[in-house]
Amino acid sequence: MSNTDDIRWVTQVALLGDKSAFDKLTCKYQSSIRRFFLNLTMGDVPLSDDLAQETFIKAYLNISSFRGLSGFSTWLYRIAYNVYYDSVRAHKPYADIDEYQIDSQHQTQNEFSAEKMDIYKALKILRKEEQTAVLLFYMEDKTHKEIARIMNCPLGTAKTYILKGKERLSVYLTQAGYGNK
Amino acid sequence: METNDNMLKDFFSENKKEIADFGFSQRVMRKLPEQRDRSWIIWLFAGIGIMLTLLLGLYTGLIQYLFLYLQIIPQIFILIGVLAFSLIGGIGVLLGQNKNYRAI
Repeated sequence: MSNTDDIRWVTQVALLGDKSAFDKLTCKYQSSIRRFFLNLTMGDVPLSDDLAQETFIKAYLNISSFRGLSGFSTWLYRIAYNVYYDSVRAHKPYADIDEYQIDSQHQTQNEFSAEKMDIYKALKILRKEEQTAVLLFYMEDKTHKEIARIMNCPLGTAKTYILKGKERLSVYLTQAGYGNK
Repeated sequence: METNDNMLKDFFSENKKEIADFGFSQRVMRKLPEQRDRSWIIWLFAGIGIMLTLLLGLYTGLIQYLFLYLQIIPQIFILIGVLAFSLIGGIGVLLGQNKNYRAI
């Protein structure tokens, strides 16, 4: 699972168009990318799988632009982040409708919904940027620097997103009695 | 502050789950656009490499020396060398194939 493997597979895809090498990359990262989308879409499995699929296809088509300055994982999350925000922007006309009402009416029923209700409720109190930064930091174990690269923002801004998200979540979880469990 | 951090770490790690592939990778592979086969690059560079080795070997007389040594060395040593090389290579390939990411 090392970065050396990633570089080898990326080289095989970029130079030789080797699809089996890309299959290995997909198998390795599908879980984390799908989980990232699943949390951002509040548990919408079909949507998160569509977004994850789009991410991997874009990664395949643009793999020659991967310079290796950051890890392949960071580069992939950067694409995922762009795919997600493109999708959010595409649905902007509906943004003023009460999101909470729609979510409760059309909550996708899936294996994650019931047990993950708490995390989705908690994430909903955050702004989109804070959600992304907090998820990348706590769920996907990315560093501040990597998060700044993924979100294409200055390091200080990424740190602020995490800090603000952390503060709000802490208050929410404490009020919900999480810390007392 | 550290208490909050630990609480959030616990909260997210409790909710962190690996998602099984369930054919997702195969669906992605099916959707990938076809690209031109560029495996000829390997053969091109392999050919250039072999040609350069032969030319340099002949020019410096290295190949002639090699044939001379091969006649001197007992055949059993050459046989053992070839067998050991394939054995080590085979074990290396087997170990490499054990990395199965689909099982995650």
